Amino acid sequence: MHLIGTDHPIQDAYDKATGRARYAGDMTLPGMAHIAMVFSTIPHGYVTAVDDSQAQAMEGVYGVFHCFNTPEYRFNRYRSQYSQELPDEEPVFARHVRFVGDRVAAVAARDMETARRAAALVKVEYQPLPAALTFEEALEGKNCLEGEEAIKLEYSQEVGAPLPEEADTVSVTAATELSRLHHAAMETHVCVADYVPGADELTLYSPNQSVHGVRTVVADMLKMPYSRVRVVKTTMGGSFGAKQEWTTEPVAAALARLLRRPVKLVYDRAAVMRSIVCRAPMRAEMTMKFRRDGTLLDIHLELLSDAGGYIANSADYVRTLFGKMFRCYRIPHGSIHVRLVSSNTPVSGSFRGWSSPEVALMLEHTMEKAAKALDMDPVQLRVKNVLLPGDSDPKSGLPIEEVRTRECLLRGADRFAWEENRRADAAFNAANSRYRRGTAVACGGHGNTYYPRYKDFAGAFMRVCEDGSVQVEVSIHDHGCGTGAAFQMIVAEALELPLDRVRLKEADTAHTPFDFGCYASRGTFLVGRATQLCAQRLREELRAAAAQKLGVSPDVLFFQGDTVRSKDDPSVVLSYKDIAWYSLSELCQEITAEEKYHTSTNPGVTGAHFAHVEVDTWTGLTRVLDYLAVHDVGQAINPAMCVAQVQGAAQMGCGAALREELEISSSGMGTSSLAKYHLMNAPDLPVIQVELIQDGCSQEGPYGAKSIGEVSYVPAAPAVAAAVNQALGSDMGRIPMSPDRILEYVAKEGC
Amino acid sequence: MKLEFFVNDEAVAVETEPQRRLLDILREDLGLTGTKEGCSEGECGACTVLLDGLAVHSCLTLAAQLQGRHVTTIEGLEKNGELDILQKCFVEEIAIQCGFCTTGMIMSAKALLLQNPNPTPEEIRTALSGNICRCSGYLQIVNAVRRAADEMGGAQ
Repeated sequence: MHLIGTDHPIQDAYDKATGRARYAGDMTLPGMAHIAMVFSTIPHGYVTAVDDSQAQAMEGVYGVFHCFNTPEYRFNRYRSQYSQELPDEEPVFARHVRFVGDRVAAVAARDMETARRAAALVKVEYQPLPAALTFEEALEGKNCLEGEEAIKLEYSQEVGAPLPEEADTVSVTAATELSRLHHAAMETHVCVADYVPGADELTLYSPNQSVHGVRTVVADMLKMPYSRVRVVKTTMGGSFGAKQEWTTEPVAAALARLLRRPVKLVYDRAAVMRSIVCRAPMRAEMTMKFRRDGTLLDIHLELLSDAGGYIANSADYVRTLFGKMFRCYRIPHGSIHVRLVSSNTPVSGSFRGWSSPEVALMLEHTMEKAAKALDMDPVQLRVKNVLLPGDSDPKSGLPIEEVRTRECLLRGADRFAWEENRRADAAFNAANSRYRRGTAVACGGHGNTYYPRYKDFAGAFMRVCEDGSVQVEVSIHDHGCGTGAAFQMIVAEALELPLDRVRLKEADTAHTPFDFGCYASRGTFLVGRATQLCAQRLREELRAAAAQKLGVSPDVLFFQGDTVRSKDDPSVVLSYKDIAWYSLSELCQEITAEEKYHTSTNPGVTGAHFAHVEVDTWTGLTRVLDYLAVHDVGQAINPAMCVAQVQGAAQMGCGAALREELEISSSGMGTSSLAKYHLMNAPDLPVIQVELIQDGCSQEGPYGAKSIGEVSYVPAAPAVAAAVNQALGSDMGRIPMSPDRILEYVAKEGC
Repeated sequence: MKLEFFVNDEAVAVETEPQRRLLDILREDLGLTGTKEGCSEGECGACTVLLDGLAVHSCLTLAAQLQGRHVTTIEGLEKNGELDILQKCFVEEIAIQCGFCTTGMIMSAKALLLQNPNPTPEEIRTALSGNICRCSGYLQIVNAVRRAADEMGGAQ
């Protein structure tokens, strides 16, 4: 292999370094209207009147839109597939507002400043309704209207059969509570919508994770033929799951159609934090049963989750969570009882890892308690229970394949000087009263693709240009983690071309094949596989055309670099350019290839993270002193970008464990500023070390690759949280372990 | 007001209100969209530019503060098609992922190297403390700035 496994910058690094990369917010179209939104200021109630007269009268205002003057466009933000049967629960402009930040009105104007000023003049009157802002209030049904139930979904499920009762077992129960999280992608949510009335064609430009998902929702909402709605994925300034549900797109689409002109809708940070999506708050109680020797026998999880203002993806999210419980450990019998409530708070939704990181916080917290109860080393307890090659995922029944969790743990423990660190911490803690140190480990797993939950497939299309360079059409949605570069490498590897001879377009419903979008870590594993196979097929098309040119059997031809040679005649050297031009001019056909690929596997993909922290018991502040992440990735396509993603995941995990929390005040107002939502910055973090284990290759991923973007986040917060508990000798389960919570613990329990 | 100032060494005159943000003047009036808006309150650093050689948040800098002064944006770093050493090092050290923080990060680093041509990794981390990158653990960014300092030192 000449390219796979070598380090490359992201495909658009040069443009990003010079400020030329074009994000949706940088776009301007002729005659474009700028949109400013008016959001609900109350958590629950009815809009009884909207006075838009002053706003309408302002020079430069094109229109003010709200529930009293606009057709009732409704949609489901979570729907991403035509066949999903989900209610259109969310209106573009609400009359019944369900949280502070629900959309009430929009002002369109010739420039942003005018739109903002006019929006401030829109007067909204409300009839308030009782609001549920906490789990307790939601469980009481405080927000329920006549006939509504407080519990939106309740179910129990189990996998495997309970083992016969044994005499000498140890049971541990741990309570874990997770806060709401803000994704904090640096680019906020944006959509530019261009409507051409004569042709009745709508084009949407947005940084989204599924162009076909946006299309199905917007076209159905506007009752337009799908073929007349084009969705283009723009350069994305980060997502972490926040851009896989549709919020700005339906609004911009509706307004462009109503105004019959292009519109640009840019949410600022406060609007994103209030109105878009957050990670669900959850309350969990997990019980694990072990034999005395540390063998895990049984897990039961009691889970309560809050969907927020709309149900959106929450029902699927908690269902998925149970499946994610089985991706790391051997669990002979596992069961869950889930209750989902809704409240008058920001809408919960997808977040990096789609419930794997959440369930890992519950599993790893309980595992830490178990290690103490069993008097076992935390690394050894995990090593004893992880899934091994030859095992199957107990829930899906699919082989876990060449998983390397055990190696991640053992190599990590060695590299992190596990035993020395733990001993040194004990000595440090014995000698210090103010500062406390702790070293801990966590592991966790994730998947690749939707399979077997859904059938999953991907397509790719390629053509050879007259000069022998290759144009690739594949529906990828790069979040800014280098999917584009990885796919260029996959194609260039298969065709033995230099990277700059491969041009790759990102997802665009007008040009690239149908795809479910960038969900479920399916990008590189599945779409990448389709792309690899398509490139190989294109090569066979080149061979066939060369054979026709030479009047020989394709069997005598072979490839050497980007040329075709003959076993029979050493003087034959045909470049891709020679073959492409021959095919066009003599065979009257372009050399193209198309591939559709269905997946039938979903191998284990895991990692182990190690954190060493120091807690200041006087201030409650925690410093992460050292950090190591070891990941089982199969073949890394572009190792440097894999490492960079893992480091980013560690950064998010440190934040989630120690600081990040989107709080809701008693008036229903959520945190809406980065001044109040503390992200980790450069001085906050140590050098995050990363090791990739690359010999556990998948059968199906391109060149043996497995997923990395989501799984890298799974063990991060659990490792840091466990290290804090280790430092304090505590068993805190409330995440984040913010300074206030640490001080509260120290005041109560001492340390 | 009639605002006359310098952007990337060129004299610029715009008619604007005194309370208009430098960020909006750059992006909307001058088409310099390399400067990004991430938080609108000086917390994320995506909008960082140089004002007379010092790093400032263009979302917190108003037109009234700009008369006669020199603003440098990311678009002003590249000279005659040649990347600034910092830009080159960010690309080559794989310090760029989603890119939304990158231009502000490079401008903060530029301001640092103008003041301190030979910073330690700790000094680099401190200088970049006002710039949030959500994709990385900051390591490649620190490495890129350190290498740029080395290369600039080598050129002197």
